Amino acid sequence: MSATTLAAAEQYDYEIIKKFSVMAIVWAVVGMAVGLYIASELAWPFLNFDSPYFSFGRFRPVHTGAVIFGFGGSALFATSYYVVQRTCQARLFAPGLVSFTFWGWQAVIVLAAISYVLGYSQGREYAEMEWPIDILIELVWVSYMAIYIGTLMKRKQPHIYVANWFYLAFILATALLHTFNNLAVPVNLFSMKSYSLFSGVQDAMVQWWYGHNAVGFFLTAAFLGMMYYFVPKHAGRPVYSYRLSIVHFWALSFMYMWVGTHHLHWTALPDWASTLGATFSIMLLLPSWGGMINGIMTLSGAWDKLRTDPIMRFMIVALSFYGMSTFEGPLMALKDVNALSHYTDWTVGHVHSGALGWVAMISFGSMYHMIPRLWKTEMYSVKLINIHFWLATIGVLLYITAMWISGISQGLMWRAFDDYGNLQYSFVESVAAMHPFYVMRAIGGMFFLSGMLTMAYNVFQTIRQGVRAAEVESVRAATATA
Amino acid sequence: MADKSSSLVQTTGHVWDGDLQEFNNPLPVWWTYTFYATMVFAVVYWLIYPSWPVGKSFLPGMSHVTYKNSAGQDESWHWNTRSKLLKEMQDADVAQKPYFDKLAALPYDKIAKDPDLNSFMLSAGKSLFSDNCAACHQAGGQGKIGFFPNLTDDDWIYGGSYDKINETITDGRHGYMPPFGEALEAAQIDDLANYVATLSGLKADAAKASRGKEMFHGQTGACYYCHGDNAKGRQDIGSANLTDKVWLWADVPGAANDAGKVTAIAKVIASGVNKGVMPTWKGRLSPQQIKLLTVYVHELGGGK
Repeated sequence: MSATTLAAAEQYDYEIIKKFSVMAIVWAVVGMAVGLYIASELAWPFLNFDSPYFSFGRFRPVHTGAVIFGFGGSALFATSYYVVQRTCQARLFAPGLVSFTFWGWQAVIVLAAISYVLGYSQGREYAEMEWPIDILIELVWVSYMAIYIGTLMKRKQPHIYVANWFYLAFILATALLHTFNNLAVPVNLFSMKSYSLFSGVQDAMVQWWYGHNAVGFFLTAAFLGMMYYFVPKHAGRPVYSYRLSIVHFWALSFMYMWVGTHHLHWTALPDWASTLGATFSIMLLLPSWGGMINGIMTLSGAWDKLRTDPIMRFMIVALSFYGMSTFEGPLMALKDVNALSHYTDWTVGHVHSGALGWVAMISFGSMYHMIPRLWKTEMYSVKLINIHFWLATIGVLLYITAMWISGISQGLMWRAFDDYGNLQYSFVESVAAMHPFYVMRAIGGMFFLSGMLTMAYNVFQTIRQGVRAAEVESVRAATATA
Repeated sequence: MADKSSSLVQTTGHVWDGDLQEFNNPLPVWWTYTFYATMVFAVVYWLIYPSWPVGKSFLPGMSHVTYKNSAGQDESWHWNTRSKLLKEMQDADVAQKPYFDKLAALPYDKIAKDPDLNSFMLSAGKSLFSDNCAACHQAGGQGKIGFFPNLTDDDWIYGGSYDKINETITDGRHGYMPPFGEALEAAQIDDLANYVATLSGLKADAAKASRGKEMFHGQTGACYYCHGDNAKGRQDIGSANLTDKVWLWADVPGAANDAGKVTAIAKVIASGVNKGVMPTWKGRLSPQQIKLLTVYVHELGGGK
């Protein structure tokens, strides 16, 4: 088909991708460090120093905001801008808006973090940002959507590559979710405080419609988009099944929208609504696995590379964790399993097996592939990628094992009755029983953060190497023409 | 499956970004059938539990929950979380009832002597104590100096008999000592503190203590009015026994030296006590639960 004639760096806008890539790494380090800190607070509570500014309640959204929207968001902006340009053979639409999406998005992360520490929160999980920040997000997101659709329309390819469907679904769904979940009335124009337009259980339902689809579209569909480009590209093999990609794309998009109510089992939510959430979660299993199968089967035939290429290892482990989490999720969505798992650390472990195992690992793999190509160089050290891989894998395993044990123990302890019909344990006994696992979780986090710091160093050296080579090249070109 | 695909299956014919292609493999058969199976599972689930909304109601599902209503009759509903909760609480009540009935009928001092009832009292008491008392009196009831009294020693501010413990839990308490810092000079408070120290055998300045003794028993300090001529306190008003070496408000055990101990006492005399508040548990716990807790606290070690 149409071969690339111009050098990629001139044909495409790489500057914006470079900026987002660097910020993805910065936010990953910040967000994971805050995560390690709050994990340590749970194990050693003196770390909150009796100060509201250091309290778990304020730091927790700083952690989730920095890792999901800072790291995950920046990685998605970077890779989606990379993928859409290369698969459409078109430069990004509207360069002014492109720059705005970068500065606007970074401002959102910084402002949100500051506002949380100062005590401003909507009290909606993953949507804690108060209304002025929500408006900025809305503007950035509409610009992103315009750029993405604009670029797709400029494409020089007759067909839209599968990765772009997933990215587009993510952009569209996130716009919808963000808008409706944040409908709120500010106390006044100069107040950060606002009140939700919904009330009671309806408010809870809107929040979890948002909350689970943030997982479904932001943390799943978008990263599947990433997977659909970087896995076949890096393995140098065609995607396993075009048909499977179509079927699981539509099934996934349709099913996810229904499942939010499984977060509200055993609450004031009507039982029929919770049943629907449970069943659509079960029916979501195979559509989710469609992505895993397509990824793993694409890699099959390139298995030998696993021995030598740590980037491939990141990708295959990411897909494995994706398969594991999307099996665990539907299970936890069943009413009776949820009766045990709800409000326990099992939920926390489940989220992290998805977030660390799938989202972070596929991003690491993709960025290790993309970054040297952006700066026209090689990765500074393959050995360090390998070290990062092992640190990250050990970290995730420690984390989720600790949370499985502590979560299931919590669930069992809270509902244990003795022969006399008395509760067998008091709440505080369950808290005391968690301590060793909280320590283990913090150690897991330490491993994961160490891996991240290794990556930051490796990428920093890679960029330096790329920039130097470019300088040498331009000097040589200048002397040659002189 | 993989090898077959690479050799036999065609790609879709599209190429992106130089080398990106897609095979046209069919859907894996196991994938398709497992997907159908999850749909069948969902339909069965809809038949068991309340599911799709229909008009102003919803499909109730075939599963039922039966519990006893307030009239004691069986009441059956389609599966719902509220009935499930009622049922679960009733099951626990049924198991507890014979023990609570027996506990209500027996006098206090017989309860711990009945081995079966004693086991019940310890099992229920542990959770009741942990969830209601331990936040202040600490996990083992050892209290916290300067805040909450120790329940494991035999020193009782309001009395350690069963009836008094029950009264304390049921109605709560409010201990109060006026601050003398405004009425007396610092030197006078120091004198008093030295005297109070001698009451429990602590080392103190003899001259100061003798001046303090005069104030304690005279009209200047009038301490005897609440703490009694023998300084042993009065349980009817909750004034402390100053002779027994047990300290709640003054952090005497935590002081580094003799002077520090006297200073700790002086601090309490000067600022008084107005935080000895224990809330009432009437209405929050049933009379049987309070009776059970009374025995539990009595058994912690210091009951009289």
